[in-house]
Amino acid sequence: MQRSWNSYSSGKFFDELITPHGRPRVAARRAVNLLKGLSPEDLAARRAEAELAIKDMGITFTIYSEGKNIDRTWPFDIIPRVIPARDWRKISRGLAQRCRALNAFIDDIYNKQKILKDGVVPAEVILESGNYLPQCTGVSPLFGVWAHICGSDLIRDKDGRFYVLEDNLRVPSGVSYMLENREITKRVLPELFENYSILPVDDYPSRLYATLASLSPRTTRRPCIVVLTPGIYNSAYFEHSFLARGMGAELVEGPDLFVEDDCVYMRTVDGPARVDVIYRRIDDTFLDPEAFREDSVLGVPGIMRAWKAGNVAIANAPGSGVADDKVVYAFVPDMIRYYLKEEPSLASVKTYLCMRPRERDYVLQNLDKLVVKPANESGGYGMLVGPHATRAKRAEFARLIEKNPRNYIAQPTLALSTAPTFIDGRVEPRHLDLRPFILSARDTWVTPGGLTRVAMVKGSLVVNSSQGGGSKDTWIVEASS
Amino acid sequence: MTMLSRVAERLYWMARYLERAEDTARLTLAYSHLVMDIPENTAPDWDILVRIQDAEPLFTERHRAFNELNVLGFLIAEPDNPGSIHRSIVAARENVRTTRDVLPREAWEHVNELYLYTREFAEASVRRRNRQQFLDQVVARCQMINGLLMTTLCRDHAYRFTKVGYLLERADMTTRVIDVGAGVMLREERHHTAVDPLIWGSLLQSLSAMGTYRRTIGPLVEGEAVVDFVLRDRTLPRSVRFCLDGIRRELHPLHNHGGALRVLDGARRSLSRFQVEGASREELHNFIDRFQLRLNSLSAEIVESWFLPAER
Repeated sequence: MQRSWNSYSSGKFFDELITPHGRPRVAARRAVNLLKGLSPEDLAARRAEAELAIKDMGITFTIYSEGKNIDRTWPFDIIPRVIPARDWRKISRGLAQRCRALNAFIDDIYNKQKILKDGVVPAEVILESGNYLPQCTGVSPLFGVWAHICGSDLIRDKDGRFYVLEDNLRVPSGVSYMLENREITKRVLPELFENYSILPVDDYPSRLYATLASLSPRTTRRPCIVVLTPGIYNSAYFEHSFLARGMGAELVEGPDLFVEDDCVYMRTVDGPARVDVIYRRIDDTFLDPEAFREDSVLGVPGIMRAWKAGNVAIANAPGSGVADDKVVYAFVPDMIRYYLKEEPSLASVKTYLCMRPRERDYVLQNLDKLVVKPANESGGYGMLVGPHATRAKRAEFARLIEKNPRNYIAQPTLALSTAPTFIDGRVEPRHLDLRPFILSARDTWVTPGGLTRVAMVKGSLVVNSSQGGGSKDTWIVEASS
Repeated sequence: MTMLSRVAERLYWMARYLERAEDTARLTLAYSHLVMDIPENTAPDWDILVRIQDAEPLFTERHRAFNELNVLGFLIAEPDNPGSIHRSIVAARENVRTTRDVLPREAWEHVNELYLYTREFAEASVRRRNRQQFLDQVVARCQMINGLLMTTLCRDHAYRFTKVGYLLERADMTTRVIDVGAGVMLREERHHTAVDPLIWGSLLQSLSAMGTYRRTIGPLVEGEAVVDFVLRDRTLPRSVRFCLDGIRRELHPLHNHGGALRVLDGARRSLSRFQVEGASREELHNFIDRFQLRLNSLSAEIVESWFLPAER
């Protein structure tokens, strides 16, 4: 493997493991040296072992295409990404700060709307957004927290700084892959763990349990917590089941629940059983056919009534999506100053709002340099990567923006950092991002590390699993004494 | 800890399908051996294996002749036959996939491996050359999964509904094994009676009951004694009575058990009353037919009582 490592270069991009001079970064040195010492055959054997483990463990995600559900195994790269704990502590503080501000914002929007009245955020941006649910007005969940589970996407630009790219406040997924990735690395590269002190990730399910349990409206010794899934054909079903198991909670589908006297019950072999906390993994508007989409068969009629009456907690609270919008994203630094009276400690990406005429003009004139995103799509769908797009595609987006400016934002094309990735028997740089998960209730807690997603295609910046992305184990390592 | 009705139902079917895969493999193995032991002109017909699954209509849609390859293809690899090994394992896996959160983690891994194994080899194992190894593997892997579940599941609802699924399917399959015997004998004008012990012996083997039979009944394998033994022995884990007694033990502690126990006790009574001695093969076959209907209504009653509970 020596040769392929020695010729490794990430060009103008910041590399997570290797310095521009081709030497391993301090925190990654022992891991890289060990990997260098493995023969290509050995490395290939480890990789095959990892693939087998993934297949046997049945770690899959489902892609819906051409009317068929395809179960894919999770693409995994065996070379871990290493981040020094000292750097991580700063990032972690920044993430917690962001989440506190976002929750204060959601609570404000559904109650006094002070931030709109004070003109810090333009009212029409919020009130005309499809993510704003008037049905949630006047509700104050426990601790003022709405988004109990947040997945924020971080990227590292060529200056080596971390930036927040977006906050996923509705039903962020991926945490189970973060946990499984560690499991797999332990199985196939056990010797890497020698002489390293790596922060463990496997207590996430218990942290999640504690967060959810603290929301219970009843003071029973062990509240009844359920994970509400859209069912086995959902792309994240594996994760829903994984988390339910990890918490010892019931994994339920809509038809397993019903509402009576504004309380939620599940149907069991012993008769109805009262539910205290619902960790829902279905979208807001599918939650309750009484309140939102009448045609939803995934939801539970009356569940919104039960939630508003305070008889059941729902995480994330319905309506949290109001802050999960790429236009709102542009205002998060202002929110942090407004609610917390602090300066943001994590950088955001410069964002042009097409709703503002001056910024729109800039965007239209610079489409070849920018990334344009619809305000509320996820999974990397419907976006334009200017520098890589055809002229026709850019013209199409120009029309879309002019037709509906509120729905589009633009950001500079970021030079996503890379890390050595094992491709066809060689080590090559591939772009990646990082999704840590933040739990909020009485306190805020951030996973040590998160899910690193890798664009497996050379030069690609799209890391979404639905579009050919893979992942890596992510290590937060303490400096050795 | 209570259990979602939907989850209980899936565990029940997981167990039934795993047991079905194992038992179909056992029966197919035993029958393949039997055919090799019997002189060519008196060899029993392959159609019996399809008939005991009550699957003739499905079979004749697909094949014209009841020959060895068609029948075994149908039993081992046919994706549309709910009694085939392949289909049973697919169905078991779907049920485990959706109940992983209540099962030990290895359960999913083993069932998934069994599924991958079957998907790869079922088609190629229809011919005699690979058949034995494939069927042995299916039986061994099913037993490993069963052993894993029985030694790791807490004795709560998850265990209870899994156990009931296993026992009910096993009772059903044991009656079908007897029916194979009866079916072969019904055509006995073409056989030498010397072949009888071979047939009953191979059926005992398919139930792993040969050794026990010799120890408790005696070295001579005789039709009536075998039937009585596998229907009513209290200690043989694959006897019908043993399975029904086990089901009763599991259902009794559940609330709302009235309906299911009524049907179950009816079946147990009819089992005790049946006169094996002197029964013609026709009578035996008819008894089995009626008894299988009772098992069907027991399953329907279980679904009704615990899997489709009405709102309060």
